[in-house]
Amino acid sequence: MSGVPELLLLRLLDKREMYGYELVRAIRSVTGEAISLGEGVIYPVLHGLEKNKSLKSRRKAVAGRTRVYYSLTAKGRQRLNKLHIEWLRIQGGITSAMESPGVA
Amino acid sequence: MSPDSDFQWLESRLLRAGVAPRHVRRTVTELREHLDDLVDAELATGCDLENAEESAMRELGSLESVVIAMRARPELLSWARRYPRVAIMVYPLTCLALLPVAPVFAGVAHASQIARWGLCMMIGALITGSMFLLLQLSILLS
Repeated sequence: MSGVPELLLLRLLDKREMYGYELVRAIRSVTGEAISLGEGVIYPVLHGLEKNKSLKSRRKAVAGRTRVYYSLTAKGRQRLNKLHIEWLRIQGGITSAMESPGVA
Repeated sequence: MSPDSDFQWLESRLLRAGVAPRHVRRTVTELREHLDDLVDAELATGCDLENAEESAMRELGSLESVVIAMRARPELLSWARRYPRVAIMVYPLTCLALLPVAPVFAGVAHASQIARWGLCMMIGALITGSMFLLLQLSILLS
């Protein structure tokens, strides 16, 4: 489960480049508020992903303000695919456990 | 506490936790920008500035959780924090190696002042030399 924030961030950044505030709002929106990452704790995750070259960043001025925009790299896309497969495996395992008649 | 003092606290806390200074600077900058966006969103709802700032800080969440999240990522820690044994060996050796070349670095850093000082000394020597020459000539001609 520790990879969930990474998976969500990589999935959102696969579509377009975004900055931290935008990403927090987008996660709330796409998960129907089911997952709400702490506003501040998103940055360590983003910086960690950038450090391992899954993301790249650039400073961009929009409407008189500068923001650090993050975008996915080829390595990040590979990591997204890997995390997605892992997530489907876990999801399948939990679903099967919950539906199993052997589980009380 | 004001947002500024909160961010100063965060900066010193992250540095003491061993987070690399460039990640500390960047995290604090991005959090400040994030707070600005939160304040703007609150102001857009008709809130006054003071309440907007308070509400934005609440929404930003505990800064201690940022420290915990940063510390949990070894890749964001400083080199010395990740490899303390190597750092203990390398730092004193580096200091010893830098000690003899420190005056050179100081000279390079203050090159313009040293050049000015050299020029003044040369002009001074020329004036003194000329005066001695004039004195010598006056003795010879008298």
